Amino acid sequence: MQEASMKAKIGVYVCECGPNIGQSIDIPRVLESIPALDGYEDVELVPKSYGLLCSPDGKEYLKKEIQENGYTHLVIAACSPRDHDSTFMGICKQAGLNPYLYKIINIREHCGWIIHDKDAATEKAIQYISGGISRVLYQSELFERQLEITPDVLVIGGGVAGIETALSLAGEDRKVYLVERAEELGGSAARFASLLPRQQGGADLIKSKIEAVGENEHIRVLLNTEVESSIGFLGNFEVVLAGKSEGEKTDIKVGAIVVATGCRMSDPRSFAGIEYADSDEVYTSPEVEKMNTGGTITLRSGEKPASVALVHCVGRGEKGYCSRVCCNYMMKIAGYFKKQSKETKVTEFFVDMCVPHKADQKFFDESARLGIDFKRVRKIGLSGTRVEFKGMDGKKQHMDFDMVVLASALEPSEGTEALAGLLEIDLDDRGFYREAHHTTDPVATSIDGIFVAGASQGPRDISDSILLAQASAGRIRAQLIPGGKIVPEVKVSEILEAYCTGCKTCLEVCGYGAIYFDDQKGISVVNEAVCRGCGNCFGSCPSGALRTKHFTNSQLLREVTEALK
Amino acid sequence: MHHENVVVVGAGLAGMKASLLLAQAGKKVHLVETLPLIGGKTIKNEESFPNLECSTCLVAPIQQAVLQNPDIEVMTMSAVEKVEGDDGDYTVTVKKSARYVKVADCIGCGMCYEPCPVSVSNEWEENLGERKAIYVPCPGSLPNVPTVDPEHCLKLSGKGECTACVEACMFGAVNLEDRDETVKIEAGAMIVSTGAGVFDVSKLPDLGYGEYPGVYTPFEFERLFASNGPTLGELKLRGTENAPGKIAIIHCVGRKECGYCSGVCCMYSFKFAHFLKKKLPEASVYNLHSDICVPDKTYQKFFDGVNGTHSEMIYNSSMESLKVTGSGDGLQVTYLDEAGAEKNLEVDMVILAAAMVPEEGTRNLAEVLGIDLDAAGFFKVRDDDIASVETSRKGIFVAGTAEGPKDSQSSVIQADAAVGKVLAFLESLKPQPEEAAAGGQG
Repeated sequence: MQEASMKAKIGVYVCECGPNIGQSIDIPRVLESIPALDGYEDVELVPKSYGLLCSPDGKEYLKKEIQENGYTHLVIAACSPRDHDSTFMGICKQAGLNPYLYKIINIREHCGWIIHDKDAATEKAIQYISGGISRVLYQSELFERQLEITPDVLVIGGGVAGIETALSLAGEDRKVYLVERAEELGGSAARFASLLPRQQGGADLIKSKIEAVGENEHIRVLLNTEVESSIGFLGNFEVVLAGKSEGEKTDIKVGAIVVATGCRMSDPRSFAGIEYADSDEVYTSPEVEKMNTGGTITLRSGEKPASVALVHCVGRGEKGYCSRVCCNYMMKIAGYFKKQSKETKVTEFFVDMCVPHKADQKFFDESARLGIDFKRVRKIGLSGTRVEFKGMDGKKQHMDFDMVVLASALEPSEGTEALAGLLEIDLDDRGFYREAHHTTDPVATSIDGIFVAGASQGPRDISDSILLAQASAGRIRAQLIPGGKIVPEVKVSEILEAYCTGCKTCLEVCGYGAIYFDDQKGISVVNEAVCRGCGNCFGSCPSGALRTKHFTNSQLLREVTEALK
Repeated sequence: MHHENVVVVGAGLAGMKASLLLAQAGKKVHLVETLPLIGGKTIKNEESFPNLECSTCLVAPIQQAVLQNPDIEVMTMSAVEKVEGDDGDYTVTVKKSARYVKVADCIGCGMCYEPCPVSVSNEWEENLGERKAIYVPCPGSLPNVPTVDPEHCLKLSGKGECTACVEACMFGAVNLEDRDETVKIEAGAMIVSTGAGVFDVSKLPDLGYGEYPGVYTPFEFERLFASNGPTLGELKLRGTENAPGKIAIIHCVGRKECGYCSGVCCMYSFKFAHFLKKKLPEASVYNLHSDICVPDKTYQKFFDGVNGTHSEMIYNSSMESLKVTGSGDGLQVTYLDEAGAEKNLEVDMVILAAAMVPEEGTRNLAEVLGIDLDAAGFFKVRDDDIASVETSRKGIFVAGTAEGPKDSQSSVIQADAAVGKVLAFLESLKPQPEEAAAGGQG
């Protein structure tokens, strides 16, 4: 532990904040009491006050004061750190004082504004300032580091989202590795005859994007390839890719990773109430897409069906989510049947019509005009080609059809869980990749530098998958500037090797994959470039081997002890 | 180098996130906002779905980050008036309305409000509360700097010689001599993120809005519930001291008229049911719905958590037939059930879950920017690709609900995507290495 400096000279500045602190706290009394505080006999304390330290004049004043007085530490008693901590840290830097040797004490919100008795507010402010002085003596200089980065990007998954990500990022000064475990690019969308929401020719559009990938000299496509291992952080990942054949390994260095591994249709027969045999004329929507792309949608006999049931919402209840895209693509499929033969009787069974895009309702209305029978029901089951349903009146009914098409819930692709484990990113409780924050950070993951694109983040149509890809590309373009550097967190955790017993508790609580285990030494090691300084490990370490810089035990203990004296 | 400048129009969630990301990429951002505060519609909500996080806690750090970022110039009370040029060489004319309070000098102490003798209806609070002529729209507004409303200020409107606010300010920050100014910004690209408004429910007289005080718009209810709102979050029916006992939330208001489902109303309606039961556990809440639209992996779970426990779900088979009428002191909702039979529901509060529509002024802004709108009046994106954030004018991109109804997550995704497109566009404007070399030789 660092010892308190013996010849410290601490500037203690009380900001009046106009009337805000000036009127509610007796500032002259605060200033008088500071030199008289117990326990600072070896420290030179210089208390002063100023009208408004955050004003342009105030900032200039403070800078000059730090420089002229040669302070070793600085305490500012003012407002909430949320308002001006960064302001004063900036002034310390300008004045040549390490900003980690300064401390802001909030005597406005914590004292002046909540205590109506001026004497009591003043007493509390003095206590808090004393805590700050005590803490700052135990603070250490910390230095920002700059790390070189590689601007190159690894995209995992060669479907439409992965392709879009690669095309959005590859360029003269940024190489993209596009890795696909199958033998060709395109993913599921390549098999669709038309794409939502505007019914463009799907195969053609995807084909032209695949061609663009082929023509782009800055994209390296690796087919039949999967990720074997990955370590690192934003700006610097080391990844090993493995081909299908034995020993076919490629080592790459990238600055960011985009997972675009997509989703798949869940097995309809895994859901209660959906029963049919392989020989029944029951199909999933991708099977029908494939038949349609091949020319005709027929029964196994080769005949065209005279009546078709399109069953929505299969597995919605069991999965616990609406797959968002089924209503629209089922209407699209209804259109395929009607185009094939106007006489085909098409009935759509649905619980709720989910058409949440501004163009969807029009598509729905147009579909209705094709003569499709939309049947709203409370519950849907299937027995062969017999649709058993509970109507809106609550009565059980059934109808028989030549053919049944099922819109089964979308679920994460096979291997999503394994890849998440390998990359150390989190999954949500439905098995999709979890966003860093659902609402405000939807394409980042729990690891800085790993992003998610497409339907592996949640069920999505092609259009929205592409937007996610463009969003990931936006994040990477903004953060990984070719030739640029990144500044990792300064207030990171560190391990005191002698105290570590190798219990590995910290590895479990670290949410960022910032701690690894050194088997030879038998101790945990913090990767400072990855650590975000959350303090989880510090709190959990049973042997006191871990500490988080700027929040050490001695710093916290000193501040609290003084403040509560 | 103006190719390093980007103008972002609209400082809601999408505009703020886009600005921060652009600044991170080393660009200089001019964030133009018509209101005196930033944050957009999200800050009107007490909590946001699906995780019911405190909206302020969600958005305030983003607002602070924007205000403290040296590469983002926040221009409140400002509007784009003209965009000249093309191909990444734009001159954007912005009119900054007088704020009458110097942002650099004001510390937001609020001492100026009290002495102001004027009291008018607060439009930001959906007219549920009052404000002074010098005011911040609500507690917690960021930037925490008031503005003077020249229409109602006695001195500025010529009705009197009052300078009470000037005298009350210890910092000399109030300046009634302030004037509108026009600035020109050289920019390489723009992002439009002006958000969406709410369908005008008074267009459907059968729903009783305006006629019966117990009928509320969604944002009226949000502000009534908000702990920083006009009633400090106390649920009192308009004009009374009474809490509602029976509440009907009517879904799909304006869906037919607008021609689309907004994709968010079901979720905010369920959130309202949760809000109501949280504060009024004894209340009866009814959601009169048609299609339940919960299009996100987390939304069904939210619905399941409300369905039956917080609200009774009633299927309303015909929005056109639904009527709200007065019934004694309360209200009566008449609707057709699943069998088409007419039913009545006695309640004392009705919340109309109205559709998202283009924000006021969108048509005008589209003209100023020279970009196309779609049939519904939202900003149109290019449709020669499957998905896009590019408008009809090169170098101008769109993000958030200005492009169409969507939830917050989708707005942020579009903001990130728009930034990606802007950065790629700006890079394409740079002279290629060969060209630069050739220029050097010439």
